Amino acid sequence: MRTRYNELLTCFSLREVLKEDESGSLKATVDDILFQAKRKRVFEGHGQVRLGMMRHLFVIIDSSRSMEDQDLKPNRLTSTLKLMEFFVEEYFDQNPISQIGIITTKNKRAEKLTDLAGNPKKHIAALKKAVDGTCVGEPSLYNSLNVAMQTLKHMPAHTSKEILVIFSSLTTCDPANIYELIKTLNALKIRVSVIGLSAEVRVCTILTRETGGSYNVILDESHFKELLMLHVKPPPASSSSECSLIRMGFPQHVIASISDQDAKPSFSMSHLDSTSEPGLTLGGYFCPQCRAKYTELPVECKVCGLTLVSAPHLARSFHHLFPLEAFQETPLEEYEGERFCEACQGELKDKSIFTCQACKKVFCVECDLFIHDTLHCCPGCMQTDRTS
Amino acid sequence: MKLNIEGLLVYFPYDYIYPEQYSYMLELKRTLDAKGHGVLEMPSGTGKTISLLSLIVAYQKAYPLEVTKLVYCSRTVPEIEKVVEELRKLMDYYAKQTGVKNDFLALALSSRKNLCIHPEVSSLRFGKEVDGKCHSLTASYIRAQHHSNPSQPVCQFFEEFDAVGRQVPIPPGIYNLDDLKDFGRRKGWCPYFLARYAILHANIVVYSYHYLLDPKIADLVSKELAKKSVVVFDEAHNIDNVCIDSMSVNITRRTLDRCQTNVETLQNTISRIKETDAAKLREEYRRLVEGLKEANVARETDIYLSNPVLPDEILQEAVPGSIRTAEHFVGFIKRFLEYLKARLRIHHVVQESAPQFLKDIYEKVCIDRKPLRFCAERLRSLLRTLEIADIADFSAITLISHFATLVSTYSKGFTIIIEPFEDRTPTIANPVLHFSCMDPSIAIKPVFGRFQSVIITSGTLSPLDIYPRILDFRPVTMASFTMTLARTCLCPLIVGRGNDQVAMTSKFETREDFAVIRNYGNLLLEMSAIVPDGIVAFFTSYIYMENIVASWYEQGILENIQRNKLIFIETQDAAETSMALEKYQEACENGRGAILLSVARGKVSEGIDFVHHFGRAVIMFGVPYVYTQSRILKARLEYLRDQFQIRENDFLTFDAMRHAAQCVGRAIRGKTDYGLMIFADKRYARADKRGKLPRWIQEHLTDGSLNLTIDETVQLSKHFLRQMAQPFRRVTTRTFLSLFNDLNQA
Repeated sequence: MRTRYNELLTCFSLREVLKEDESGSLKATVDDILFQAKRKRVFEGHGQVRLGMMRHLFVIIDSSRSMEDQDLKPNRLTSTLKLMEFFVEEYFDQNPISQIGIITTKNKRAEKLTDLAGNPKKHIAALKKAVDGTCVGEPSLYNSLNVAMQTLKHMPAHTSKEILVIFSSLTTCDPANIYELIKTLNALKIRVSVIGLSAEVRVCTILTRETGGSYNVILDESHFKELLMLHVKPPPASSSSECSLIRMGFPQHVIASISDQDAKPSFSMSHLDSTSEPGLTLGGYFCPQCRAKYTELPVECKVCGLTLVSAPHLARSFHHLFPLEAFQETPLEEYEGERFCEACQGELKDKSIFTCQACKKVFCVECDLFIHDTLHCCPGCMQTDRTS
Repeated sequence: MKLNIEGLLVYFPYDYIYPEQYSYMLELKRTLDAKGHGVLEMPSGTGKTISLLSLIVAYQKAYPLEVTKLVYCSRTVPEIEKVVEELRKLMDYYAKQTGVKNDFLALALSSRKNLCIHPEVSSLRFGKEVDGKCHSLTASYIRAQHHSNPSQPVCQFFEEFDAVGRQVPIPPGIYNLDDLKDFGRRKGWCPYFLARYAILHANIVVYSYHYLLDPKIADLVSKELAKKSVVVFDEAHNIDNVCIDSMSVNITRRTLDRCQTNVETLQNTISRIKETDAAKLREEYRRLVEGLKEANVARETDIYLSNPVLPDEILQEAVPGSIRTAEHFVGFIKRFLEYLKARLRIHHVVQESAPQFLKDIYEKVCIDRKPLRFCAERLRSLLRTLEIADIADFSAITLISHFATLVSTYSKGFTIIIEPFEDRTPTIANPVLHFSCMDPSIAIKPVFGRFQSVIITSGTLSPLDIYPRILDFRPVTMASFTMTLARTCLCPLIVGRGNDQVAMTSKFETREDFAVIRNYGNLLLEMSAIVPDGIVAFFTSYIYMENIVASWYEQGILENIQRNKLIFIETQDAAETSMALEKYQEACENGRGAILLSVARGKVSEGIDFVHHFGRAVIMFGVPYVYTQSRILKARLEYLRDQFQIRENDFLTFDAMRHAAQCVGRAIRGKTDYGLMIFADKRYARADKRGKLPRWIQEHLTDGSLNLTIDETVQLSKHFLRQMAQPFRRVTTRTFLSLFNDLNQA
């Protein structure tokens, strides 16, 4: 069996620091502001930015009385948990070498739903179970931040430490002065972002401003999803965080058939502590260092502590580092040429069009977003590459 | 930036200007050009102060002979300080742009309490004590005594100022109260007297209303201000009440008792002086025979601001013989006092006019009208002669003498009401004599008559036409400006019904109704669940608030509200209220959220701003009509109807709506701020009420936001709050503004 060692630089120190977005003029209506925010997302990743690829994220989900409000259907809690499941999948999809943990807060207490871990299945199972929980009392921002902080403060300095709060209530019941805690969080370089489900609360504004996070309030479900997805992308790393080399293993998937004589069924290490799933399997991923077997990646080896990932995982996070250049926006009137979008072949009807700087092909707004958010490569350039 | 306003070059210390500021300056310039008076309304938070200052300063620089002085009147010390800071910014900008060193002198003036640097005197807590103590150290005869007897204490700061301070002018610059004190300490001069002296040649003076409107103070401080001054009354929506208060006198039994003691002191002093220094009294007598001619000469040359307490006619005459000697005068006062005491010994309410009162006093104790008119002047002269140092003790007798002068001078515009007890406590005898002014124009008339331009401005002056009518003047400009907003950051809603469709109103007949109170409670409960941080709720009166809160407590509504937010209540006790306010702000700050229950016309509704998270919603429970059963109010309404043809209902509605607008306006203090304004009374939906709200609120009041139910209100509010929470950057406004500028310059 061939084993491949690889060492990977997780923190790519690149030349430029992130610039504040200059997304141009915002128009009066909120719709336009939202549209601009969409564009901003496209823009933000640009420039050569150092990103915190190895993320440790705690999601705090408010489960207080106000989560029973039915302005999101069927109610805020169910809707939030549903979106969270989606978020967790997306998160691991885009951040293969990161971890997540979930905390809920109700009745003035905070409770860890899942610990920091890299296995999406476990989190999703926990989220599914949480739907049946009741929503009572008030949340405690202080307690939940504190719980998250206790774990995050032991994380190494090169990782990006983040907390995402999904806050439905308008009040928080705190045992101590929260401003002290905010100072501590700031000192520990923990970034706290908040998504509000009802309105702008002062303490959250301060919290996010001081710790460098973002604060958004949802308008409806689709906006909620959009805001949540903003947190899927790795944030720019703070300039002071360290760089270090991380050892990683890239185990190959070994498939053994029953007919194979040498094949011996064995237990996966990750199933040692859970009794629910069937134990013995034939194939799997074997740790290149200690040959412990795992059925899923990414995972941290329980025996030797090596981070195990697969190469496609890493490749998927590659586009964060070398994102597609933003397309140039020009008003439709100024554009002379065929009014068809290069990608969808639809007629260009919106008030502005987008031109790829490399291949000079023209795209509509929707395709521009699709290309930057999903494809991460320009279809026009791909074509010219092939022909040349 | 530099602006061209109809040919006038205006320096504006900011990089961008709102369109309404531009039009405000335009109107202001036209007013100054016409040398007339103006009424201008512009919402707070749009930079009213800086627009005013930059235009008037530019005008002063361009036409130094037309406008020599700007007198800026504000209400409170913090507001005065804010104006001075804006002015400093403007002057720095001038210096930077033109490269010429600033040659303007601008200063703030406040009471001795805020300006005193004497170590002993300034440590006193109350303004009155400071004034009294200061007087006892600086009066002319005290200082004369100090010459002969160095152990007599005097204020070294005043002495120093008196010796050199008047010759050396204070260097040009911008002085707020602290700067004046620093300057005073450095030079060893008294800052208060320095400021009082310096306002005569200062280009800009910032001080409180009272220095111009209260005849007793105006006479001392402002009478020598030049005629070519521009006077600005900021936050002037209550100016009529200030005028009325400054001319009204309330006399209780306690006042009379203290007056009695004063009289006795006077008597003792007189007999003592008579033994030691009879010549002094004779000298005073001679002076009084010659009359108040000196004052008359001064007035004829028009240097002085005329004093409404001291009417023109009496200056022509000498003090009548019956009160010329000190003993006679004291006897006279004593008789007057006894008469007042007798009048207060009644069991039913008496209301009479000034002539009726004079007739009665003549019949009962043979006091003529003429000597009464000289009472105030005669007392002042006597106090001066007797060298009584501590005038603070003599406030009671001064009050009585003012009353005597006023009642005998004005036969119109005043009424006398004697009430044996308060309406609320009919069993406790507490007789009060209200001598109340009903015509605010009496106090402000000299100001309008004397200065070439008087500008009345505020955030809420609607309806504009009523101010010229009640203040009796002719403005050359009247304008109301609205806010240009990058987003609709205010959301006025009129809630008229509960979810059970029962009308919500504080109308007298239904205000005790169980259903109304419950619906009000439900409204507050629902709002407390959806509005973040702070909510301020205003009631129409303290009694009404007490009743409602008690009822909410019984119904358990209060308990439910407390699950969402903490509750604080404004009381009539100032210390308690400021404590409640402090805690309220703390609760808003740390995310707990709070509700402040307060009263329209109270301290909170007038002076406290609830910026950003301190006031995300204001709820006005009911229409804040003034207490209509009050006899003083009834008399005033009658007077307004007879004299100015203003119907009772019009005035009452105007008064209620200006207070309602003041209350809800507390929440929006700038363009980045946002807040809900909830009017919880179905009567607000009527055109006559709605039409009296300021234009900038009316604009956002659509047909869809009238007569809502609680549920509809909640839905609209939720939507509004979410919209407002979306990221909003300065960029938005700025592009808009530069656009406007391009238009303007093109």
